[in-house]
Amino acid sequence: MKTQTEPSARLSSATAPSGLVQQSDVHISFRNVSVSYGPVMALREVNLEVCRGEILGIIGPANSGKSTLLKCINRTIDFVPNARVTGQVLIDGQDVLKLRNVYALRRRIGMVFPLPVGLPLSVYENVAYAPRRAGVRQRHELDAIVERCLRQAMLWDEVKERLDILGTKLSGGQQQRLTLARALSLDPEILCLDEFSIAIDPVTTMRIEDILRELKQQVTIVLVTNLVQQARRLADRTAFFMAGRLVEVGSTETIFEHPQCELTRRYVVGDFG
Amino acid sequence: MPELCYRVAWRRQQGEFQAGEAFASFAEAAAALWAWQPQSETSVPSAQNPACTNAVEIWCCRQGEEAGVAPRPQYRFIVYGKVGGGGGNGSEAAPWWGVGEAIKGLVELHRSGVIALQPGQRLRLCHREIFATSAGQKRKACAENIARMVFLAMSLMLVLPVAAILIYLIIKGWPALSISFLLENPQQRMTAGGIWAPLVGTFFLVLLSLLVAAPIGILAGVYLNEYARDNWLTRIINLGVVNLAGVPSIVHALFGVGVIMFLAELKRKYGVWVPFYDRCLLAASCTLAVMTLPVIITSTREALASVPMSFREACWNMGATRWQTIRTIVLPNSISGILTGVILQVSRAAGETAPILLTGAVFSVPVPDHGWRAFVPYGLHDRCMALSMHLYTISTQVVNVPEHVEYGTAVVLIGLVLVVNSVSIGLRVYLRLRKKW
Repeated sequence: MKTQTEPSARLSSATAPSGLVQQSDVHISFRNVSVSYGPVMALREVNLEVCRGEILGIIGPANSGKSTLLKCINRTIDFVPNARVTGQVLIDGQDVLKLRNVYALRRRIGMVFPLPVGLPLSVYENVAYAPRRAGVRQRHELDAIVERCLRQAMLWDEVKERLDILGTKLSGGQQQRLTLARALSLDPEILCLDEFSIAIDPVTTMRIEDILRELKQQVTIVLVTNLVQQARRLADRTAFFMAGRLVEVGSTETIFEHPQCELTRRYVVGDFG
Repeated sequence: MPELCYRVAWRRQQGEFQAGEAFASFAEAAAALWAWQPQSETSVPSAQNPACTNAVEIWCCRQGEEAGVAPRPQYRFIVYGKVGGGGGNGSEAAPWWGVGEAIKGLVELHRSGVIALQPGQRLRLCHREIFATSAGQKRKACAENIARMVFLAMSLMLVLPVAAILIYLIIKGWPALSISFLLENPQQRMTAGGIWAPLVGTFFLVLLSLLVAAPIGILAGVYLNEYARDNWLTRIINLGVVNLAGVPSIVHALFGVGVIMFLAELKRKYGVWVPFYDRCLLAASCTLAVMTLPVIITSTREALASVPMSFREACWNMGATRWQTIRTIVLPNSISGILTGVILQVSRAAGETAPILLTGAVFSVPVPDHGWRAFVPYGLHDRCMALSMHLYTISTQVVNVPEHVEYGTAVVLIGLVLVVNSVSIGLRVYLRLRKKW
C-alpha cells in the first residue's frame, strides 16, 4: 500500500505543494483521473486529495470538469453515455471505479446536483426514500430522520405543517433544499455539493452554510461552486480547475491571498476572459 | 426642364392625405415638418393646424404642376416618441424618437443621396403608436389566420368520415338494434336472431390475446426504456419491433398457420406437449397477441420516457437500484399511460379479421342458449366465432340475410371499438389531471 501511494504523493506535490496532506487524513484521493466523453476530454490526469472532515471548495470556469469530478466519486459517471474513466478514485483506500456494488457506495455519499428535483412523492416520502430503500422500517425512526434532514436543509419550518404535499409542488428553492435534505437522509460520510445554493435565497444560503460548518465534524464535504466568495467563506482548502486540469490546490487563504498561479489569481479576483 | 418642388402633406386619423405648402428644396420641406407633432389626445384637430396628424408626407412634383403622386410612398420612416436616447435611423426597427431628430435625419439622408425623390414619388413619415401594428405585422397575422383555418379544415375533414360512417350505420341498422339482438344466438342460418355467439367469441379472443401480449409487451418496454444500453442488441430489438409493427395482418395469419402446422408436427412425431396443434381460440389469440405486441411495446416505452430523467438520477444518487427506482418512481407515474396503450390495442384486436380467419375463427359454432355454457361457449382448443368474422360471413357468404342485421352487427362492432377507445381517452384525461409535476 505504502509503495503504491508514494508516487501519487509526489505527483500531487508536483502540481500543488500546498495541497499536500497527511496520508492518514486522506478520505478521498484522485489518482491520475482522466475522463473523456467521446472525443472530448473532461478531466485530464487529476491528482487531488480530500481530507477527512474538511470542506474542499472546487472553483473554476464552466466546462472545467468540476461536476465530472463529483460524478466520479459516486460513480454516477456510469450513467453518462460514452464516458470513459481512467485512473483511480480511492475512498478510504478502496478504488470506487472497480466497485461492483455501487449502490452501497452511493448510500455513503450524499450528492446534490444543481437542478432542483422534487420526486413525485410527498415531502415526507422524498426524504424517507433512501432510508426506506436502505431498510429503515420503523415509523418513529423515519420521522426522526425526516425532521433532522429537513431542519438541516432549513426547510422544516416551511413544510412541517404539510409534509404530505407533493415534493414537485414546492417552489424551486424549496425543491433544492429538499434535494439537500434527501442527500443528508442516509447520514453520508461524504457530501458532494454541486452548486447547492442555486435558486436558494441568500439568507437561507447563509444559514445552510452555517449548518455545513457544523456538519464537517462528521462529514467530508466537496463543494463545487461558481460563487467564488462561497468557497472563500466555507472551504478549508480550495482547488482551482480549468479546462479539465487541476491548476492549483491549497488552503483557501493561500488560493485567495497568494495564489501561485497567475490564472488562479485572475479568476479569484474576477479578472478573467 | 422644370424645377422640382417638394410639397408637404399630412393626414389625420388614417384619412386622406391633404397637400399643403410647396417648397423649393427638400431641406425647407423637411423643416416645415416642425409644425407636425405626434398625435396626442389633448390637441384639437383643425384644418389649419396639422398638429394632430399621425403621418406626414413630402411629395415631389414638377414646379407649377398638380401633385400627381404614386399610390405607395417610395420611402417610409418612423417616429416613435417613446424611444429614449435617439440614435435611430428612422427604420421600423430603429425609429427616430422625435420630429427634430427626424428632420435632421431626413435632411442628412437627402444630402447623402440615400433619399432621391423623383417627380411623382413621395416620402412618408409616420408616427408609431405604442403597440401599433405595422403593415408587415398585419400581413403576418393574416397569414397566421389563413394557416390556422387550413389546418382546422383538414382536421375537420378527419371527423367527417367518422361521423358519416357512424350515422349511416346507425340509420341502416336501427331496426335490428335491441338488447335481445346482443343476447340471442344467430338463428335460421344466420338470417335471424342476434350476435351473442360471435360477441362472446370476440371477447375471449381479445382477453386471451391481451393476457399474452400485455405482460410480454410491458416488460419488454420496461427493459428497452430502462435497462437497455445503446448497443447492437438493442438496435436489433428495436428493428424487430418496428418491422413487426409493419407486417400486414394477413401475413400474421399465415405465420400463425405455420406455427400451428409446426406444433402439430411436433406433437404427432414426438408426442411432446404443445399449447395448441389445430386452429382454435388459443391459436387465434396468440396470433392477435403477436400482432398487437409491437404497439404495446412502443406505447409502454413512450409512457416510461415521459417520466423525467432527473427523477431517476435523483434516486440513483441515493443508492436506489434500477428496479427500486422503476418500482417506486417510474411505474407509478407512467402506469396510466401504459394502460392507455394496452386498452387501445383491445379495439384493434377486436376489429381484426385476417389473423383469426386462418387460425381459429369459423363461420358458425353451435352455442347453447341457456346455462353457464352460454357464457363460456368455447374452450381454449375449440374453434370460435368472432364479431368481425361474423360480419364478413353474413355480408358475403350467406344469402338472404336482412340488411338491418348486417348493419346492426357493424354498429355493435364499431360501438365496441368506440367504447374501448373512450375508456382509454378517459384514462388519459384522468392521467393529465393527476400529473404530479
